[in-house]
Amino acid sequence: MSFLNLVGANTRIEFIELKRYLPNTLSLIFTFYFIFLAMFFGINVIGDPQTADANIQYGIVNMVFWYLTMMTLQNIGFTITLEATRGTLEQLYMSPYGVWRILLARFLGYLAIHSVVVILLLFATMLTANQWLNLQPTIVIPIMLLTIIGIIGVGFMLAGACVIFKQIQAFLQILQFILMGLAFVPLNVAPFLVFAPFVKGFDMIRQVMIQGHTWTDFTVLDFSILIINSLVYLAIGVAFYLKCEKIAMSKGLLSQY
Amino acid sequence: MEEHNIIEVKGLKKVYKKRKTKELVTAISDINFNVREGEILGLLGPNGAGKTTTIKSICGLLSPDQGTIYIKGVDVKKNRLKALNHISAVLEGNRNIYWRLTVRENLEYFSGNRGKGRKEVRHHIEKLLRQFDLKQKENELVSSLSRGMQQKLAIAIALLADSDVILLDEPTLGIDIETGYEIRELLKQIVNEEGKTIIISTHDMPVVQDLCERTVIINKGHVIADERVDQLINLFETRAYSITLGSPLSDRQQQLLEGKFPIYQMVDLQLEVTLENEGDIYDLMDILKSEATKITKIDRTTIDFEQVFMQLIREEGKQHVVS
Repeated sequence: MSFLNLVGANTRIEFIELKRYLPNTLSLIFTFYFIFLAMFFGINVIGDPQTADANIQYGIVNMVFWYLTMMTLQNIGFTITLEATRGTLEQLYMSPYGVWRILLARFLGYLAIHSVVVILLLFATMLTANQWLNLQPTIVIPIMLLTIIGIIGVGFMLAGACVIFKQIQAFLQILQFILMGLAFVPLNVAPFLVFAPFVKGFDMIRQVMIQGHTWTDFTVLDFSILIINSLVYLAIGVAFYLKCEKIAMSKGLLSQY
Repeated sequence: MEEHNIIEVKGLKKVYKKRKTKELVTAISDINFNVREGEILGLLGPNGAGKTTTIKSICGLLSPDQGTIYIKGVDVKKNRLKALNHISAVLEGNRNIYWRLTVRENLEYFSGNRGKGRKEVRHHIEKLLRQFDLKQKENELVSSLSRGMQQKLAIAIALLADSDVILLDEPTLGIDIETGYEIRELLKQIVNEEGKTIIISTHDMPVVQDLCERTVIINKGHVIADERVDQLINLFETRAYSITLGSPLSDRQQQLLEGKFPIYQMVDLQLEVTLENEGDIYDLMDILKSEATKITKIDRTTIDFEQVFMQLIREEGKQHVVS
């Protein structure tokens, strides 16, 4: 119950900030929508007309996942930097729940809010392209939730780096291109990416949405890989974050910016 | 651990490495003091004395290299999160709160971060809003409030945690006299009515004199005084004298005074002297009598806490420590 209150409080603060800075939130969403439009018209104008439909469907799914991971990971990175700048980071460290749980609560809140945005973005792009994906929520949602565990793990790694270095904006800029690679490249093209975070999950969702896969089309191995990958990244992420926190407390870096 | 001590600080040491020169700097060394349940303790010291390092170590925001801190019997180093159940803090005053949230949103958010639901704290929030005179401003953004109001909100948030100990770092810094007085009265009320233990780190000596029962003074990384405020004042008051002379002192007399009384000042015919021991008054009289210097008037100097603090810091340079 107490952790739910923690999640509730942090979801509320994320929502209040999004609402209070609505023009900024809307401009972010529209930027993604316009990037998609550019890609959509690009495929239509210079792409092969025979594969245009499939390419557009890939484009929609990839864009949406790119948006979700990028927004989430950047938010995590910026959370620490922003709190340190504001002077509230140390106050968060006064919580008996520990900052890693507060961050987890923030990720969950942020993901919950942005999932709504993602769904709206997905329908807007499908409507624009007149390409309707096989959404199948009963299979997409569980795979998505398992994939998100890995995203959170990577988020903790970024947060750990932020606790020590504070300024990692330049890395976050590079990160969006790394994420683009991870979100856009299918596993059959680069099978080694199965070890990378969240690639397996995105690949499985693509198979559901574009090729119409169902539960029976996936093997136990597929789900095992997805679960192990996500849990390993989460464990590494939290351990890395806690180690960074310890270093910061030892060197007195928490309040420094 | 003694039952009445809610905080026990033992042998605290912290050494930093300078970023550029890699030179090691000892911020604090062998800091020892206790805080009793329900007392207001003033933690004092000049800038760079080691107050912040001590405070942050107590809050578990900084790991000391040596020493232990117990809060209500919980070792902060070994069980930081459990210890945080017993302590809340206002560390950077008005910077410690969210300026882009309203007063109520801040209170609700920070209580949520301690695992408390909005319904659970509704009555407590209402009580604090009224107690701190913030009710009228509850839906205003913190950025639009005065510094005094922001400071009051930061203290209200610390109180909302319902912890046994509240640590206040410079609670009256940069606020007007009226709000400063208001905050002092609120803090007295909190201690008297709710039995909280408060540690105040401040440069504001009237706050210490008015609020604190006891003070721990830190200088150059170690404790130079740990004493009740009234006793410190009495101690220095009884030893400080202002003597009006009928004629100037000779060079020999001045040399004798310098040798015997490190803290003395001679302006015109006014001799201000602080004695280390009560018996030193006879030595002083002997020096004056030796050349038949006429004494017009003797006064025991009234001393306030600021003067006590300054004398302790100066004396510390001469290795005099009160404990």
